[in-house]
Amino acid sequence: MNAPFFKFGAFNEEISLVIAVLIGVGFGFFLERAGFGNGRKLAAQFYGYDLTVFKVMFSAIVTAMLGLFYLSWIGYVDLSLVYVSPTYLVPQILGGLLLGVGFAIGGYCPGTSCVSAATGRYDGFVYLIGIVFGIFVFGEMFSIMESLYSATPMGSITLPQLFGVSYGMIVMLVVFMAVGGFIFAAWAEKKFAHLRPEEQ
Amino acid sequence: MSNFCNRLTYHQWLALIAVVLGLFAFVAGDPYSGSRITIDTKELASIVEGKVDHVTALELADWIIQEKTDYRLIDLRTEDEYSEYHIPTAECVALPDLMELPLQRTENIVLYSEGGIHSAQAWMLLAARGFVHSKMLLGGFEAWQDSVLFPTLPENPAPSELAAIEKLKSVSAHFGGAPQTGGQAISEVKRTITAPKNTTPTATGKPSGGKKKKEGC
Repeated sequence: MNAPFFKFGAFNEEISLVIAVLIGVGFGFFLERAGFGNGRKLAAQFYGYDLTVFKVMFSAIVTAMLGLFYLSWIGYVDLSLVYVSPTYLVPQILGGLLLGVGFAIGGYCPGTSCVSAATGRYDGFVYLIGIVFGIFVFGEMFSIMESLYSATPMGSITLPQLFGVSYGMIVMLVVFMAVGGFIFAAWAEKKFAHLRPEEQ
Repeated sequence: MSNFCNRLTYHQWLALIAVVLGLFAFVAGDPYSGSRITIDTKELASIVEGKVDHVTALELADWIIQEKTDYRLIDLRTEDEYSEYHIPTAECVALPDLMELPLQRTENIVLYSEGGIHSAQAWMLLAARGFVHSKMLLGGFEAWQDSVLFPTLPENPAPSELAAIEKLKSVSAHFGGAPQTGGQAISEVKRTITAPKNTTPTATGKPSGGKKKKEGC
């Protein structure tokens, strides 16, 4: 049987939702095990003395990328059936900045706030309430923001298509970028170790 | 060498494996080339058997009324027929051009032709290219006329049918059609359809809506 399983009809939409919940629980579990339920640890990456988030996320990206590349290369995964979300450059840069600012101030991103709330932390619950409120405000303001929301559309474009290079080259460059990032992280964690609060 | 290996930590080993795989990826080539699909006749047969290869005219009408944007409707009739009348949101693509169209296999493609034969042939061509999730409008454009624009309503409907009839009337009115009752000369009324020509709803949220329609013609 080939993947993606859902696209090849291995199960129906209802089952796919159940599987999504299971994957979500698994994702949350491993985020928590990596320490991502703790806002202090998450915010630490912005001070440079603990770059666990950076390292875990980059490891996940590299693992998923290499896995997908090779599974597709041997013909097991049909990459053309994997959904690529469309790029809207300006709104996504603005959204990314907004998320980063919120992350640095509050110590959570949306996913980790759920993890935090699941472990019973009050700040996680406050974040969740904020997310729901934010969704409501966004929905109410959508008519005003619609032109920005759909500005600079680039379609479902991937880096190899954008730069006109092979997929393999992008895979290799991302791996190098990750390894460079890990070396930088090790250096930064030593350099900024003095910023680490006593209680951690 | 063995000294170097012994000095590596667990994390460094993993990084080394990633680097080796990354380097090999560079020379391995295009991952998409490993995923070409040949026709799986059993799979196609099960799709047809499962009736997931088509949508009915009323289902399509519902999608349009709800302003859904997660489908791509392709009109395979001639350019003249298309400009005379087409189902709202449809784009005109001639059958030979369909193979050149930059379609994505994750798209929900719906094909229609006059009676349904051309769309069935186009569906098979797309299926051969791996677009096994494309659909046909059941009965083609004729079914659209008969079920959506000019549905024939029973003269003396049972009370249980009234709700369905009201819905049918409102759907028909939405597209500028007119439901018929048994005695009326349908063919004469049909000639007067001009209203729906410009009822193409604007695709909300997706900027590609208007632009795409011109590609095929």
